[in-house]
Amino acid sequence: MQEYKGSDTGCYTEHGVSGYGVAAKLSRSDLMDDTFLKSMAEKMMVSIAEKCVDLGAKCIGHIKSHLKTPAGTLKADTIGVAHGSYSKGHLTEPVRELFIAINSIVQGIPEDAVKAATLEGLHEVADEFSITVEKEKEHTYFDEFDFVASKKDYIKQLQEQLDQDPDALSGEDE
Amino acid sequence: MKITQIAGFLGCGKTTLVLRLSRLLADGGRRKVALVVNEIGEIPVDGKIIEESGMQVKDIGGGCICCEVAATFAKTIYRLYKDFSPDHVIVEPTGVAVPHQVKLAARMGGRDAKMALGPAIVLFDATRPAELLDMDMLGQLVTTQVKDADVIAISKVDAVTEKEAEDSAARVREINSKADLLHLSSFTGLGVEELVEIVAGWEG
Repeated sequence: MQEYKGSDTGCYTEHGVSGYGVAAKLSRSDLMDDTFLKSMAEKMMVSIAEKCVDLGAKCIGHIKSHLKTPAGTLKADTIGVAHGSYSKGHLTEPVRELFIAINSIVQGIPEDAVKAATLEGLHEVADEFSITVEKEKEHTYFDEFDFVASKKDYIKQLQEQLDQDPDALSGEDE
Repeated sequence: MKITQIAGFLGCGKTTLVLRLSRLLADGGRRKVALVVNEIGEIPVDGKIIEESGMQVKDIGGGCICCEVAATFAKTIYRLYKDFSPDHVIVEPTGVAVPHQVKLAARMGGRDAKMALGPAIVLFDATRPAELLDMDMLGQLVTTQVKDADVIAISKVDAVTEKEAEDSAARVREINSKADLLHLSSFTGLGVEELVEIVAGWEG
């Protein structure tokens, strides 16, 4: 197969688009059902979008989240404050722990600003819902999919990634 | 192996369409369909969501497949052909990808494979046409995406009035008058069957 190198910088940088992703483990002493978690995630998405706009973003590409729990998966996203946020998914039972992955793609501000808005939104809204950010790690999620492999154990996989990373931050230190 | 891309700016509904279209295209197992999902930001949220729906997915993170990680994309296409031999590969590029560059990368990957390019289907979000087209840098990108389309789907028409959907259609028609154009709601299913027929019958 002929090698196709591509380019060192993304096409999107020419258009002022920046992205930032982070994964985190969250917990709460009281049980959280899907209504509670959807409300939290929707508020978090809008909070991040608002902070991006406050920092000068011209357009929210998307702020997306994926919440993985032992009782099921939820997702929440927004394409801008004026558009509101949307969530879906179902948990079979309330949980005390979950993993969240957030992907923020925004136009008009640099990656550092997207990062700041994303992390502030994550921590502020988690705090508002009495949720502890136990660990977080940027640019992290799971390994590349293998389309012929059996389904991975996401929780175990992400827990291992977070545990193995010496730079993983403690939410309590933020 | 036919490679079809579902392109369009961020938040326009690509993932939701990919889910519905792939299931219909698979036609109860009569066609083998593989998905390639790409996201910048290095967090493949879309890929995870699609995989949890039971589809087989190859996810590419760490950059855009039309430029930064084009080589990875090309290799992925080749590996799909060698290992899985799907009838259709549905590619969901990042929302900032340029469709003609995705086609170029796919051609490189399919150089040694029995591959045909399907249509570049570009979604245009009817809920925010001005936001997308009237900004300096962003408008240029979205315009390029629309120009590169073989098929334009005015998306989220369930969330706007008929007039607003028509206004969006008129705006993209000014940019690309040659592409097939249809109204799409992945939420209600409007237009999805039509897209399946277009993909299945596309001769290039």
